[in-house]
Amino acid sequence: MSSVALQPAPVAPGLTGDRATAAQPTQQYLLFCVGDETFALDIRPVREIIQYSALTVVPLMPDFVRGVINLRGAVVPVIDLQARFGRQRTEMGKKTSIIIFDVGPPEDRIEMGVLVDAVSKVVDLGAADIEPPPQFGATIAREFIHGLGKVDSDFIVILEPERALSVDDMVALSERQSVL
Amino acid sequence: MSRASDADQDFIAAAMPAFISEAGEQTEAIESLLLELEEQPDNRELLDSLFRCAHTVKGSAGIFGLNKVVEFTHHVETLLDKCRDGVLALTPQLSTLLLRCNDQIKNLVQMANDESADSAEQKSERAELVAQLRLYTEGSKQASPADAAHADAPDTADPPQAGPTLWRIKAQFGPETFRNGMDPLSIAKYLHGMGQVESMVCGWEKVPSLIDMDPEACYLSFEMALESSASRDEVQGAFSFVEDDCVLEISAQESKQQRLVHELEELPVTPRLGDMLVSVGAVSQDKLGELLTEQAQADQAKPKIGDLLETKAGVPPKVVEAALNKQQKTREASGEENRYIRVQADRLDAVINLLGELVIAGAGANLLAREARNVPLIEANLHINALIEEIRNGTLGLRMVPVGETFSRFRRVVRDTAAQLGKEVNFEIVGGEAELDKSMVEKIADPLMHLVRNSLDHGLEPPQERLAAGKLAAGKLVLSARHETGAILIRIEDDGRGINRERVLQRAWDKGLIEQGVVPSDDVIHMMIFEPGFSTAEQVTNLSGRGVGMDVVKRNIEALRGSLKLDSRPGQGLRVDIRLPLTLAIIDGFMVGVGKSKFVLPLGAVVEVIEAGGPQVRVDAQGRHVVELRGTVLPVVRLRSLYDIESTQPERTSVVVVQSPKGKYGIEVEVLHGQQQTVIKPLGRLFKSVRGISGSSILGSGEVALILDVGSLWDLATVSTSAPTSANDAG
Repeated sequence: MSSVALQPAPVAPGLTGDRATAAQPTQQYLLFCVGDETFALDIRPVREIIQYSALTVVPLMPDFVRGVINLRGAVVPVIDLQARFGRQRTEMGKKTSIIIFDVGPPEDRIEMGVLVDAVSKVVDLGAADIEPPPQFGATIAREFIHGLGKVDSDFIVILEPERALSVDDMVALSERQSVL
Repeated sequence: MSRASDADQDFIAAAMPAFISEAGEQTEAIESLLLELEEQPDNRELLDSLFRCAHTVKGSAGIFGLNKVVEFTHHVETLLDKCRDGVLALTPQLSTLLLRCNDQIKNLVQMANDESADSAEQKSERAELVAQLRLYTEGSKQASPADAAHADAPDTADPPQAGPTLWRIKAQFGPETFRNGMDPLSIAKYLHGMGQVESMVCGWEKVPSLIDMDPEACYLSFEMALESSASRDEVQGAFSFVEDDCVLEISAQESKQQRLVHELEELPVTPRLGDMLVSVGAVSQDKLGELLTEQAQADQAKPKIGDLLETKAGVPPKVVEAALNKQQKTREASGEENRYIRVQADRLDAVINLLGELVIAGAGANLLAREARNVPLIEANLHINALIEEIRNGTLGLRMVPVGETFSRFRRVVRDTAAQLGKEVNFEIVGGEAELDKSMVEKIADPLMHLVRNSLDHGLEPPQERLAAGKLAAGKLVLSARHETGAILIRIEDDGRGINRERVLQRAWDKGLIEQGVVPSDDVIHMMIFEPGFSTAEQVTNLSGRGVGMDVVKRNIEALRGSLKLDSRPGQGLRVDIRLPLTLAIIDGFMVGVGKSKFVLPLGAVVEVIEAGGPQVRVDAQGRHVVELRGTVLPVVRLRSLYDIESTQPERTSVVVVQSPKGKYGIEVEVLHGQQQTVIKPLGRLFKSVRGISGSSILGSGEVALILDVGSLWDLATVSTSAPTSANDAG
């Protein structure tokens, strides 16, 4: 499992230089692909990105729980983001990666991995570059969206991990499934 | 303490949890000592330790400025002192009173962080207890009126009369003093005549501005420190003419010599005589250094440092003697007390976690060495692994605590509950020295408490009934613990009624837990009392719960990977066996494989293995998978279909026969990897709903394997085979 260092964050090529010089504070976001869509995630809770390698399947769990991996002695669950959004499971490819990040309330924070098709780059976005989630027309549930970030000329969905990957919600879903 | 600076406050806040935990231990010790003393009231040593515990609580509470604790404990201490002096006998009534007082101390300590939590109810209970304590202490001595008046202020207790006492006198004279023809000055002069006045301060805070001042009124007060061999009554006598119109406070303070002696006694452990004397200020550090050099330079017959201190540094002989005594005591005590180091639990946990990783890494290195077929490397690795094993065992041992500490808590419960129920009980504890993981000990306390109470409440009969049944009037309740191959066996045994099998069976039929008319084995019937909702509804069984049902007991024990077994002899008693693994961190496992997945079975649950080539799994008439083993037919759980594992059905499969609380059954697997010690890693909250799996384990290769839980796996298998949709698996 080779890992990609994120800190200090290299400024991804193609980033607009003038934004960094602007006075408004910016925040770094990690861009990644799921299916043919690009999503963004606030980089602060992200710990590391690792290459996909074999994981251990935990039986009788919903589709979106792909299994667990050994992250330096800790057993970390891996969530399939594609399946979490109610789509097909992610097919393993060359660029399939696992983003490891912290999620959950401060008193009960856990490490979790999300399976994505590819990780592309890190961008800086200021508050002015982010628009509220759209009322309709989004491809995923509105509550999972933190906002729409303007990167170059595209709008990219910024995920709200505390909702999209809420442990409580996923536990509830798993329990419902195990009753069925 | 109220004037503590900010730095002090910080220190106090930081040290408070340690104090609370220590005080908790002391109060627990007090309780068990009191109970032991009930059985052997003349045991002087127990009495001494009891006194020491109370004194320690008081002392450390004083450091934290917890005046309520100090005040209250002081009364207890005074009474214990009387017992020690043989003035009072520790009667059962007195012991009950002291137990109640101990509860109060516990409460007060718990409230240390939040003074406002002190309810009026508690205050009045404390007042009542203090009154009772005083009844005992004062009934046993000639209480002088002055003592009675001052008894609620702990500081005023007179020190033992050894040499002159330093009296601290505070007098606020009433406004009428002069008009009554009295003069504070003459009283002060009179006091001068009684001994040496160390200091005297005149208080004139009450003197008003000139306009408001009444020239004939007295506004003055004085504070005086008087070293005198006079008694309190004599000192108070000096004020006899103004007593009615004067607020007088007389407290005894030790003279300098006495103070030094006392401070030495209170001193924490410092083994060196000179250091002790320096720290109480009896001699300066420089002077001590000088004397030590002198001692070192003396060629023959080295003078003792104590003698030097006496002759050269002018330290009073009495003080040196006290220091020597203390030194002696310290040496005696160090054999006992210094063997313990207080370590924060999370630090220890961190070390154990790291060790777990070391075990995994070691196994990984081992694997690589074998693959490389490098013989010297393999040998080096084996050696390292052996060392890791030793370190691991040693470290896990650090977490082990004797289970007896938890057991002795039940003495009180048994004593009080039995008294409440009007039953007589002989409670015995056997094997309290057996050790168990600290975290397990904490978690086992509640279920045990529940079982003990149940035995008392429902198992043991009232005396008349026992006599009628030809038993001794006093029931017997034995709590025992012993080690049994990698597990600990905790047994609760009583000689009461036992379980009423018929009623339990009837109830199980009524509740639909067992099919109407079916009579299973006694074991199964007995285990029914642990079914949820079984015991709570009404008092049908003689083991009905109080508050929480017996199902909680069972669940808690199973959560600790333990098992429960009941052995009931109707009319003769009930025995509950609880088997628990020694630790939660490591498991001896048996690894199996299905498809690409690897699973670990607890080795203790594995009975035998039917290797591929032996009798094969077949489907019986009801569509269940079974295997025939030496003439008996065992049900089989097919992991591949149960867990929906993608694999091609191999020609031949192996069956691992396991023992579960519900009986023996087989687990069909494809590969047998063999025995392996593994570190348990919890799966985390996300996998809370997973059934049949108790955790995970990281293998030497870095892979994660799941640990099967034989009890719930069986439940899961029976549920899914009875469901129509997944009844059969064609492969």
